[in-house]
Amino acid sequence: MDRRGFVKACAGGAALALANWDNLVLAGSFEAFPPAKLTNKIGIPLKATEIPTGEAMVFAYPVAGVPCFLINLGDKTSKANPKLAGEKDEYDWAGGVGPNGNIVAFVAICTHQMSYPQPEVSYMRYAAEGSELAGAPGRIVCCAHASVFDPAEGARPVTGPATFPLLPVRLAYDPVSDELSADGILGMDYIRRFFKTYKGDLNARYGPGGYRQPVEGKTIALPLSKYSEIVPAC
Amino acid sequence: MNENLDRRNFLKMGGAMLAAGTAGCATGVTGSAVAESGKSASVATGMKAALPPAKGPRLVIVGGGTSGLTIAKYAKKEYPKFDVVLVEKRDMYSSCFSSNMWYAGLINLEFLAGHSFMDAAVNNDYIYFNATVTGLDRASRTLATSEGDIHYDFLVLAPGISYDYDKIGVKDVGVMTALRQTYPGGFISPTEHVSINRKVRDFEGGVFVQTVPSGNYRCLPGPYERACLLASTFKKNKVKGKILVLDANPEITIKKEGFHAAFNELFKDYIEWLPSKAVMGVDVEKKIIKTEFDEYKFDDAAIYANVRGSTLIEQLGLMAPESKSNQKEANIDTRFYNIVGDPHVYVTGDSRPHPYSKSANTSNTEGHFMAKVLAARAQGKEIAWISPRTLCYSMVNGDPMEAISVDAGYDYSAEKDAITGFSKDTKTFESRDSAKGQATLEWARGMYRDMFEA
Repeated sequence: MDRRGFVKACAGGAALALANWDNLVLAGSFEAFPPAKLTNKIGIPLKATEIPTGEAMVFAYPVAGVPCFLINLGDKTSKANPKLAGEKDEYDWAGGVGPNGNIVAFVAICTHQMSYPQPEVSYMRYAAEGSELAGAPGRIVCCAHASVFDPAEGARPVTGPATFPLLPVRLAYDPVSDELSADGILGMDYIRRFFKTYKGDLNARYGPGGYRQPVEGKTIALPLSKYSEIVPAC
Repeated sequence: MNENLDRRNFLKMGGAMLAAGTAGCATGVTGSAVAESGKSASVATGMKAALPPAKGPRLVIVGGGTSGLTIAKYAKKEYPKFDVVLVEKRDMYSSCFSSNMWYAGLINLEFLAGHSFMDAAVNNDYIYFNATVTGLDRASRTLATSEGDIHYDFLVLAPGISYDYDKIGVKDVGVMTALRQTYPGGFISPTEHVSINRKVRDFEGGVFVQTVPSGNYRCLPGPYERACLLASTFKKNKVKGKILVLDANPEITIKKEGFHAAFNELFKDYIEWLPSKAVMGVDVEKKIIKTEFDEYKFDDAAIYANVRGSTLIEQLGLMAPESKSNQKEANIDTRFYNIVGDPHVYVTGDSRPHPYSKSANTSNTEGHFMAKVLAARAQGKEIAWISPRTLCYSMVNGDPMEAISVDAGYDYSAEKDAITGFSKDTKTFESRDSAKGQATLEWARGMYRDMFEA
């Protein structure tokens, strides 16, 4: 992908004292990117306290073609889950951010066979109330092959064929403004494979190479039910 | 949701398979080739295949279906030193899985066939070699093909299935030939799918017969799913037709609650399902199917003969004894798939003698495991057995799309050295809904991605 204008700097993480992701930053495949403020459809920053709990929101980060889930876990507390085994590296996931520490974000691409939310349909969703596949409330399910992830524990796989967690997205929270920014992700190798796999579809959707364009400064987060026309309730 | 597919059903399934073995195995006309027993296939064409010299242990895989494609990709990932060659006789891929959906217009042919063997090879750093296997010499580790000989360090044969027309009472080679191309079962080759698709479009009314064989046939829910999707299509197009399902088994072999519900609630006027009606002969000219006590006249049909291991397995002299498989499947180790006594040759996919459901998901998950086995053995190591997984959706309604599913694992008994039943975590999801209908499409796309993409 086009790296110009991107900052690959582990040091970039140091500025974000509120997101305690030190160990994640040390992991080899973590990459910091210029922060993007999460906004609503018309560009007004989202307030952490207004993020719904019933479904995930979808935003693009760090480039146009990468869909991420923003999830408010509600009453569920996220627990920092040291030593998650990623595809390549072990890493510590520091838990949620926000006033109650329950706002989390992950790349919404299934780590089993790369299903992801598209405008037409999303086979991935956050099943706040539970579902036939989920086994319990508050899990992320992928309809395609029944992989289930627990967002309160770093989106580690709970059941199904996925063998490693959804890729984590680092969030920074500003308690003064109650606003959120994304500023880095782990697993760009996986994202590059995702791009290669879906290149034709992505070019058709975003224009040639458009999926590689960085989101600049801000990124729109939409409820999944608005982002995708069909969201099967597996 | 049923937490456990009950064990009795599994055993019954096994029992049905065993019982199926009694009909006329001796006559031997079973597929496109007839092997003379006791004579091993001839070998060594004297011509070397045009391949670059192996850069590491050469792993040759025969068959670019779900099993072969999965193993080719993942063996290389597990052990990058492998020099992998995929030998495939087709020059164009098209999947058997998901083909039923085409007949109801839910997908197009590109969905099934728009996947390149060449891209899979380039994406995953192996060689696609377009050739047909003609022989095997295990002493010199030479595979003979229509395009020359290939030396191997490890050989995986994943040739799929062949039909066994003997077992539906069709022993005359002329009748068999007419039957296989006039009323194809549609569970092996793309040209069968094209033919059935045309039949569905051409059908103007009357009786369309779909038969269900006994034994462990490929895609257990496949014939029932097809009945539903044809019914759905006829209903939508106002075709005054009936789908007569002649089932050799006493009960629907898998997801029976979900299928019965679809038959009764959605297609009462379109589907007639008759259990314990094993086909015992077909008059192709007069369009009559004979069962034990009855005869059924049809206007068109998809006649699914019994299933056996690929004729290639028999030709290469790798068939299991009757005591181990009554379906001419391969003589392999239960857990690690090597030909008994030969750690260099393996048979995977639907030519295996296991009672696993012969489904794409089984072959795909088995392939992931086999890649690890081969990588370990190339380094002189062994790994623990892992069960394959049969996650299988059936689209029981085409308008709107609704599906049911099963997610099964299997238990191995060391004492019996056999697969003894479904694992405890096996579940069925038999109440049809549109979420599973959508998932059915994405399940297939995931399979293609896993086989063809990097």
